[in-house]
Amino acid sequence: MGVNFKDKTTRFLTFSLILVSILCVLVFSFLAFFMGSRSQNTLNEVGTIYMSGMSEQISIHFETTINLRLSQVQALITTVPPDKTVTDSTRYHLAYNAQARGFDSLGFYLEDGTFDMIYGQSLELIDPDPFFDSVANGQEKIAVALNDSGEKVIVLACPSSYIFNNGTQSMALIAVLPVDYISQTLSLDESDNTLVYSHIIRLDGSFVIRTGDAYRDSYFDRIQGLFEDYGENAQVAQEHIASLQTAMASRQVYSSVFVFGDQRRHVYCTPLAYSEWYLVTVMPYNSLNSSVNQLSHEWGIMTFLSCSIVLLALLLIFARYLSLTRQQIDLLETARQEAVRSQKEALVAKEEAILAKEDAIHANKAKSEFLSNMSHDIRTPMNAIVGMTAIAITNLDNPQQVQNCLKKISLSSKHLLGLINDVLDMSKIESGKMSLNMDLVSLREVIDGIVSIIQPQIKMKKQQFDVFIHDISAENVCCDSVRLNQILLNILSNAVKFTPEGGSIHLSLFEEPSPKGTDFIRIHLSVKDTGIGMSEEFKNKIFDSFSREDNTRVHKTEGTGLGMTITKYIVDAMGGTIKVQSEQGEGTEFRIVLDFEKAEILEEDMVLPQWNMLVVDDDEQLCSSAVASLKSIGVKADWTLDGETAVQMVESHHKKHDDYQIILLDWKLPGMDGIQTAREIRQKINHAAPILLISAYDWSEIEEEARNAGINGFIAKPLFKSTLFYGLKPYTGLSSDQPVHVSETHTDLKGRHILLAEDNDLNWEIANELLSELNLNLEWAENGKICVDKFSQSPIGFYDAIIMDLRMPVMTGYEAAVAIRNLERPDADIPIIAMTADAFAEDIQHCLDCGMNAHAAKPIDIREITRLLEKFCK
Amino acid sequence: MSLQSCYIELEGDYADVIGRLRTERLVQKFVFKFLDDPSFDLLCRSLEAKDYDEAFRASHTIKGVCQNLSFTKLFQSSNQLTEALRNGWSPEAEELAVQVTADYNQTVKAIKTLQAENGVV
Repeated sequence: MGVNFKDKTTRFLTFSLILVSILCVLVFSFLAFFMGSRSQNTLNEVGTIYMSGMSEQISIHFETTINLRLSQVQALITTVPPDKTVTDSTRYHLAYNAQARGFDSLGFYLEDGTFDMIYGQSLELIDPDPFFDSVANGQEKIAVALNDSGEKVIVLACPSSYIFNNGTQSMALIAVLPVDYISQTLSLDESDNTLVYSHIIRLDGSFVIRTGDAYRDSYFDRIQGLFEDYGENAQVAQEHIASLQTAMASRQVYSSVFVFGDQRRHVYCTPLAYSEWYLVTVMPYNSLNSSVNQLSHEWGIMTFLSCSIVLLALLLIFARYLSLTRQQIDLLETARQEAVRSQKEALVAKEEAILAKEDAIHANKAKSEFLSNMSHDIRTPMNAIVGMTAIAITNLDNPQQVQNCLKKISLSSKHLLGLINDVLDMSKIESGKMSLNMDLVSLREVIDGIVSIIQPQIKMKKQQFDVFIHDISAENVCCDSVRLNQILLNILSNAVKFTPEGGSIHLSLFEEPSPKGTDFIRIHLSVKDTGIGMSEEFKNKIFDSFSREDNTRVHKTEGTGLGMTITKYIVDAMGGTIKVQSEQGEGTEFRIVLDFEKAEILEEDMVLPQWNMLVVDDDEQLCSSAVASLKSIGVKADWTLDGETAVQMVESHHKKHDDYQIILLDWKLPGMDGIQTAREIRQKINHAAPILLISAYDWSEIEEEARNAGINGFIAKPLFKSTLFYGLKPYTGLSSDQPVHVSETHTDLKGRHILLAEDNDLNWEIANELLSELNLNLEWAENGKICVDKFSQSPIGFYDAIIMDLRMPVMTGYEAAVAIRNLERPDADIPIIAMTADAFAEDIQHCLDCGMNAHAAKPIDIREITRLLEKFCK
Repeated sequence: MSLQSCYIELEGDYADVIGRLRTERLVQKFVFKFLDDPSFDLLCRSLEAKDYDEAFRASHTIKGVCQNLSFTKLFQSSNQLTEALRNGWSPEAEELAVQVTADYNQTVKAIKTLQAENGVV
């Protein structure tokens, strides 16, 4: 498109250039031609004007000269008047006077047309008739005559009647002048100064005065001859002669340019006075022509140069314009490409917008689907509750029926509560209000808790449940235990839900160094089941809100469809990742990776006697992990994978008098199970070494059987270091059921001054009673105002901490905390611990926003308070 | 009547309270003190005077005391009342107040029985 346009422009420009060049050449040629012809014309005109002036001058000069001469003749007549008969003396006087005036000859023109010469040669008129007629009419006249020597002379005649003796009279007195006199006087000949020369001719064309190179007798012959000499058409000469004759006949001025060969001559003819003569003035243009040609030549060169300059300028402009145009075209091209790109981008944006719109529609649809699902899901348990309540009321006298109803109501309520919790969580997530409530958490306790919660469900569906904990070095971490529980519960209960009866569920946990630093550990959690799995599409949107697998396959499953969204959100909020792998009909695996901050634990406290132990489990990994954990708490342990080997090992050690002090047996073992193995050992060796059963299952059902088989106790899987420590500690002899207890070792709190703000007497007394064990100096402030007053009136550094109830009259705990923080005291940053019956995350956040350091929920837990006081009191 | 059966009577959690306060003597001391707690009177007065802010605080205090003493039943109803009053009056409040009164009376009755049996007047 651009190239095409470029070509078009170039073509147009080239075409224009050629056209303009042609036009330019034409204009200049025309100018050259026009100016040439104009200059020729002008030259002709100038010639005509010049020559008419010249001829006029000459003719006036001629007239004056002739006049002068005629008046001289007249003077002769006056001097010698014709009143007497002509005598010799008359003749003498006349001759005398005439000679004095320089006349060649003098005589009388007689009535018969003959001359009576007084002196000089006799004359013969060349054309006597007009002369005679004029003189007879009494006019002064001049004419040409031939004298005796055959020379042409000018005859001047003044009419006068001299009477002769014989009675005849003269018609005129004539005087003769040489022709040369005229030609010299009039300067008719060509001179150096002027190019012009003149002839005087008579009406028949014969020369009176012939100048220049003229040699013919008649001027007409000359014209004819010149034209013929130069090979011109004789016709043209004839025409010239004819028109000249016509002009002469009517005594008019004749002007014309004769062209023959390379000669151009301007001819100008005027009649002369006192005669039949014509003055022919000729100006040859030859020399002028060369000047004119020179001029034309120069003019031509100048024109050509000008034309060239203009063309050159045009060419330059064209070239420049072309390059500019090309640049512009290039720019246009870039702009066009830019535009095309923008258009493409716009299209992409449009597609994105369409996608976004589809997403929005989809989300909207999902939401309405969710609402209709929800209304169904909420109504179902609600109907059960309402219906069962009605049945219970009508059957009040039937306790069995009522109990049944109540059981169902309770189940439905729990289900409903679960739904509502999910919806509330979701609304918190969607409004961005969900916050993590970080606390010190034992992973062991979390897993223990989750296992005990999920176990009944697993048992109900007769599924196999395995928990694997690989070496976990830091089991105490900082995290939100409630949310962590929620994650595990969601995933595990899904696994239970979607795994058919008899299937297996596998929970494993392992640790690796965290990229966040040495203060962190990275925990990998994996939940794998052999359930129905998910379709590929569903896998992609499992974490979207309100999604549930299509209802035909999963019709029995209940839920809000929010569980996984909430799970994903919590994992995100904890800065972790969650991934899912699933195959329809094969099962599903969720992998969660979380980074937790390690909490400080007192490792040195966890030391057991240097026992010799045996660990029996069919999972090699569990064995080696347990052995490693045991080693770290000071116990040397062997392991084996089945009951038979275990019995042999116990026997052989017994024989060597190197008995195992404690034996850990897995319940489910291939071949001989744990209970059977214990029975065998007890039968073969009469030794009191404790045998403990390790199991991920609730052992309440097998407890009696196990005790009868000689099993002393149970340890729940997973086997954390602490699980092992606390599970084995009772067998050290210095056993204590509650290893963590308020002890007097925390002497650093002794004598500390604590201000306790609490408006209720009873609560104060309970707090006082409980805290008195720590030997604190506890002071009571009945409300927030009193608390602030007491603190501000105390010496600086007197109080070590403030425990603050939140809901108090006069001034609330929040206000009091803000007031204390705003005091201008160096100890205004005193630790403030909130104590309240409200334990919502928002309340805790509000406490922190008001400048408090920590939050302890009621009921007052002395261990929690102690922990917080120890943490904040330096 | 033992302290434990008193807790059964008032539907509290004896195991929980003894876990925290650790001696029966202490628990009994505080349980008896509960009878002197003015919060319930305050609650009744505030509700009559339609001072719902004050009623909220009183109900909140009852809730707190119940938590400390593990009076589960009274805790639950007072907790619901607290939430109902948190943002001023709400329609459920009156019904819940009736429930709190009933639970309170049940609790007081159980404690008084214990008191009488132990010869403390």
